[in-house]
Amino acid sequence: MNSVAEVSSPPRNAQLFRRRLIGFIAVGEVGVLAAMALLIAFFWLLEPAFLSERNIRAILNVVSFVGIIAIGQTILLVTGEFDLSVGSVAGLSAVVAAKLMTAAALPVTVGILGGIGVGALIGLLNGLIVVRLGIPAFIQTLGMLFIGQGLIQVVTGGYPVYPLPEAINTIGGTDFAFGLGWSFAFFVIAAVVADFVLRRTVLGRNMYATGGNQEVAHLVGINTNAYKIGAFIVVGALSAIAGMFVMADLGSGGTSIGSGWELTVIAGVVVGGVSLFGGAGTVAGGVVGILLLKIVQSGLVVIGVNSNWQQIAVGVIMVMAVGLDIVRRRYFIAGA
Amino acid sequence: MSTTQEPLFSATAIAKNFGGVQALRGVDFDVVTGEIHALLGQNGAGKSTLVKILNGVHPAGSYTGTIQLDGRPVSFASPADARSNGVGYVPQEIEVLEQLSVAENVFAGRTGLGDGMLVHQRKLEQRAGEIFADLGIDINPRAYVASLTSAQRHLVIIARAIVQKPRVLMLDEPTASLSGTEVDALFSVLRRLKAQGVAMIYITHRLPEVLAICDRATVLRDGQVAVRIAREDFDAETFIFSMSGQRLQRLFPEHSAPVGAPTALDVRHLTVAGHSGAVHGARDINLSVAAGEIVGLAGLLGSGRSEILHGIYGRVPADGEIRVTGRTVSIRSPRDARAAGIALLTEDRKRDGLLFNLPVGANITIGNLAPLSRHGMVRGRLERSSILAAMSALNVKASSPQASVTHLSGGNQQKLLFARVLMRAPKVLLLDEPTKGVDAATRHEIYRLVVELAEKGVGLLIVASEIEELIGLCDRCLVVADGRIVDEFGRGEGGEDRVLWSVTAAQAERHALAAQVSS
Repeated sequence: MNSVAEVSSPPRNAQLFRRRLIGFIAVGEVGVLAAMALLIAFFWLLEPAFLSERNIRAILNVVSFVGIIAIGQTILLVTGEFDLSVGSVAGLSAVVAAKLMTAAALPVTVGILGGIGVGALIGLLNGLIVVRLGIPAFIQTLGMLFIGQGLIQVVTGGYPVYPLPEAINTIGGTDFAFGLGWSFAFFVIAAVVADFVLRRTVLGRNMYATGGNQEVAHLVGINTNAYKIGAFIVVGALSAIAGMFVMADLGSGGTSIGSGWELTVIAGVVVGGVSLFGGAGTVAGGVVGILLLKIVQSGLVVIGVNSNWQQIAVGVIMVMAVGLDIVRRRYFIAGA
Repeated sequence: MSTTQEPLFSATAIAKNFGGVQALRGVDFDVVTGEIHALLGQNGAGKSTLVKILNGVHPAGSYTGTIQLDGRPVSFASPADARSNGVGYVPQEIEVLEQLSVAENVFAGRTGLGDGMLVHQRKLEQRAGEIFADLGIDINPRAYVASLTSAQRHLVIIARAIVQKPRVLMLDEPTASLSGTEVDALFSVLRRLKAQGVAMIYITHRLPEVLAICDRATVLRDGQVAVRIAREDFDAETFIFSMSGQRLQRLFPEHSAPVGAPTALDVRHLTVAGHSGAVHGARDINLSVAAGEIVGLAGLLGSGRSEILHGIYGRVPADGEIRVTGRTVSIRSPRDARAAGIALLTEDRKRDGLLFNLPVGANITIGNLAPLSRHGMVRGRLERSSILAAMSALNVKASSPQASVTHLSGGNQQKLLFARVLMRAPKVLLLDEPTKGVDAATRHEIYRLVVELAEKGVGLLIVASEIEELIGLCDRCLVVADGRIVDEFGRGEGGEDRVLWSVTAAQAERHALAAQVSS
């Protein structure tokens, strides 16, 4: 420890240092990034193969799929709602797109647009029902989770849609650099754009206001209903895109695409400091949170931990992350 | 009532201060068996503080003075403690469990009836039925509370307090949400309790009710007993005089109504729905505010004064015609009102004013970002400079625009919200309790600001509970009672007593009307 140097320096400097440190920790993403760095070091020390090119590529590849949804989920959480149906929507959009391209023999672009359309439409439906009928998002989107899973079976009859047009396999197989293709590129661009929108635009500011206190936002003239419905549509469309990237990666419209993603996505963004109660969090934080979760899962595999324990680890990490966040808010933000 | 009788419940030399503000300065108060004792006073006179001390909300030790029950000193640690000592309290807000039956509500917290874990549904219903029969209340104990009117709910709450057979019962504005005939039903219940020997403390703003049912009255003013009156000396004039009295003089900046100024706001036949099923709203309101004029809406809590502001601002559905600077505008939402040049400062900063997830700066600019952005992107430097300008113009004391709003004082939070509503340079400004919960210095800053805005030609419509504040600040006062404007007078044409008189006259009229209808 270098604390000796700190102690010997004049008290005024120590105080300044302390204030700077507190200010630094108060920035939301720093905590998650620090935790991530520690975990990477930990796994690497136990098993250097953790930082092998192949493993890093595998982690980033998986993150690019769920990460796309995490972007939408973060935006929705900021406006004060959330969506449990993202996995189902991803799967349904993928098989609908696959069916349009194969059974209906429509052009690939039409199939892709159809898939996105399904996702956006379900988002619109979720949004309208939550906002206009006042049904809690938890109930509405949980219902939609089951409806989506059922529709996947209805559309496919239980069999994966296969083979897909060559263009889809090309999208799935493209390797820009380091084995990362279209999905990763889309993920990075979407994350940067969404982060910018939330941070710097009037749209983003109004979303934080809506999620912070809907009544206040309404009173200052913000159309809160439109923002919420819009955020639901964005989540739906992004889920659809993520689902279709998985489909392209697999080369088949599998019936289990997206299954179980909803909880991974919510756990991830919450780890990244996005509040479940609305009005707080950033896309950068949400994305880093997802990355951290996937690093833990992969790290546990690499060091040879039984897969049952991986799930336990995810649960523990999520609760710990939120607990740490509460502590951080109480002592560093409130106290500063 | 013989006043020589030994008091059942008494408080002696009660004093309490909140962070340096003396809320009660040595109050003596007592109530005897079978008596209904009215506790009167303006907002801020100390009524609620006294009641909170008497029922243990402010626990023993947080105040000075003694409380005696039956001649023995008692000290309550909590409301539950007070209840078990035989001192019951019926709060002003109706707190019921909507999903449960009437009987379950009456016995809430004691559904086991003291013997074990099981709920004796039938026994509960039977016991509740007995209590209702005893009090002459006509409610089915098996009905669900969700299906009851607010008056019936109030009776359920009273029954809940009665279950524990209190010897002293405090009722906090029990008629606030009741109509004339419902008040009569409540009074007959209170008369039966009185006959059973229950001592009651009746807190109210409404003089006709005091004249109708109370045996004695104590008027508080500025934390002290202003006067104590026995029934035989009851007289509306005495009450009004002692409630308003001479209070600490406040300094209001000079302002006189503009002469021949154009109309800023003109409202015709405005009818406003009550909040979520409440009976209060406002009916057929006609008013106008000239540019540069300060108009006050005076009236009691629940009179409909805030609803008028909310109706004009489009916060609650309202019918009627609204003109801003001569142009008819259609207002269906706050967004429309803002576009028309109307701004509203809400009463409750915490609930519908501040955004606690955003820092000071963003709290000021929220809703005002259009001129501070280009192509939808917030121009950071421009935003920061206009935030700093607004903060210094209104003297908002925060360490930086990035500071959290949580730790600002009430006064600074209020100035921040003023900065927000003024950023769009409104033509009409609606202020709901602009000085609520702010310190004396900020209060003066707000008065000066109001006058400054008027001098710039803004039309101001202000609601405030402290009548003297309106009298001192406003060019003209409109008196609101039961959702109607019942009186109007200009600066110098009346004071606090005039407002109380017109409110009382309106209530008495309604009371008489209701009595006529029901007989």
